[in-house]
Amino acid sequence: MRANPIYKRERTVGSRSIRLPMILTVFNSILALVALLNMYSMVSQVEVTAEIQYSAFMELYTFGAMIVFAMILFIMPALTAGSISGERERQTLDLLLSTQVTGLEVAAGKLMASMYNVLLLLISSLPVMALSFVYGGIGLWDLAFLILSFLASALFTASIGICFSALCRRTTMATALSYGMLVLFVVGTYAVNQFIWSMANMEMTGYANQIGGIGSQVNSGGFLYLLLLNPAVTFYEIIRGQMGWQETMTSAAQWFGSRPSNLVLEAWVPVSVILQVALAGLFLAAAVWRLSPGLPRRRRSGEKKEESQGKQPV
Amino acid sequence: MLKIENLKKAYGKHPALDGLNLTIKTGALFGFVGPNGAGKTTTIKILAGLMRPDSGTVIINGVDAGREYRKLKGLVGYVPDSFGVYDNLKVWEYMEFFASCYGLDGLMARRRCMALLEQAGLGDRADFFVDALSRGMQQRLCLARALIHDPAILVMDEPSSGLDPRSRTEFKELVQELNEQGKTILISSHVLSELAQMCTDIGVIEQGRMVMEGSMKEIMERVDHSNPLLITVRSDMDRAMAILRSHSCVRTISIKNDCISISFTGDSQDEAQLLQQLVDAEVQVTSFYRQQGNLESLFMEITDHEDKEVLLYEGKPDL
Repeated sequence: MRANPIYKRERTVGSRSIRLPMILTVFNSILALVALLNMYSMVSQVEVTAEIQYSAFMELYTFGAMIVFAMILFIMPALTAGSISGERERQTLDLLLSTQVTGLEVAAGKLMASMYNVLLLLISSLPVMALSFVYGGIGLWDLAFLILSFLASALFTASIGICFSALCRRTTMATALSYGMLVLFVVGTYAVNQFIWSMANMEMTGYANQIGGIGSQVNSGGFLYLLLLNPAVTFYEIIRGQMGWQETMTSAAQWFGSRPSNLVLEAWVPVSVILQVALAGLFLAAAVWRLSPGLPRRRRSGEKKEESQGKQPV
Repeated sequence: MLKIENLKKAYGKHPALDGLNLTIKTGALFGFVGPNGAGKTTTIKILAGLMRPDSGTVIINGVDAGREYRKLKGLVGYVPDSFGVYDNLKVWEYMEFFASCYGLDGLMARRRCMALLEQAGLGDRADFFVDALSRGMQQRLCLARALIHDPAILVMDEPSSGLDPRSRTEFKELVQELNEQGKTILISSHVLSELAQMCTDIGVIEQGRMVMEGSMKEIMERVDHSNPLLITVRSDMDRAMAILRSHSCVRTISIKNDCISISFTGDSQDEAQLLQQLVDAEVQVTSFYRQQGNLESLFMEITDHEDKEVLLYEGKPDL
């Protein structure tokens, strides 16, 4: 099997760019700052109470994981949204597609390059994340599982970026739409549930007042399953499980009203990860479809104008 | 050999290609001309595998592009009008990248890249970054890139647009050199004088159809026949005029500086007969020839109904 030429080129070009070292520096500086502040606050506490709170190291793990997760959501669309539209803007996409490279290889190469960057971010964050190993509470498998979930989230967000990068002519538009779609998944799914649940609650309260009884439990119905597509909820569930917050923090399955347990709600994390990976596949398929020749390509308004003037459509 | 039959492609309701037929012989340097919006770029993009036609067939060296689409890409080298640059990529890396896009790797690919760079006159620039090259050099690099997989046919879409005269000449020489080495080339350009100098065959496309196609010799003969016949006589002007007036192929006659210019509809045989008549009538003819035509005049004639504004020439015609 030959190496993906697009990935190889991205690696060569990327290694000469200052962008990735800058991202790594900023990312690790933030992580290191959080770790140092955590250590400082713990030492200050020891000086006052003469008592070491080992749970503080767990908090460091949680903070670190949250920062890594937020960075992935923030960085991935920026890394991928210009990947194909940038080729189009540089006028190199036609050169690429005129070779024996397929649309699938182009999309896969771009995805691999962005995943490589995320992998570098995750590996570089390991020393800080592994600080919690010193005092225990978190095992190697927990960390490995967290990293796997990060990779799934990165795949999901990267596929959104690549999809819009293939669909849009301009990088700015692709970036805006990628972030918009991400907000839809992260905030939108939550907002829909909140809205439905609030409406159902209002309705039920009114009905209970009418009949003079007490309001019974309502929930957001099937809309809850939209949260399976929300990578932030998946992350919350993983951290909740690893930190042992089962008693203190409500499961996502019970956020919008109580409901009887079922297989999907019990296996929330694996189901959501599988769904997000499947959705990533759909986004990538859309990108590959757009890169394949023979499609009825959408014409720009300028092109229509040129044609009406008898000029060449490009 | 390239054979296009009844090729159709529409952008929405606007037909870009309307039953295009075209044949290019192996080893030909085919000039593809037509006004803007005639369908040149669409044809070239279909040949390059960037677009699929709505109907029709494209056969290159016996390979049907409709059935063996991927194989088509291995047979065609594509040079667009614009040159895309990758930042932070050296010339040899650029070449090796495109070699790997055709599945060429290792020492063989490296040798081929270097040989092509030498041929394009960029051998000493292999370690330069691509974006540091001049536009002329970039276009020669683009040509070298298109040859990386040794394609059966090279298709070029206005490759010399935006180049300075020197770069344009160098590029033209490189294209001619490739053609002399046996490479089949299809080149689209608006610089018709340039095409007239280097092409072996020419085709004129208009509104998605070929309106004229043939060898440069045939086309130029046709152009010449539409031009006036210029005759100079030493004496006996009246007798000469009488003969010319009575000839059935003569349409109009005008005299300028002792030179008779006639619009003559006959072929070369009729021309010979007219000359013979003049000589037999003892008219002393000092010169008798067709005014030489050029591709521009033919192009203007064919596309006369088109909006003149779209006919933009980048060079002064010198034929």
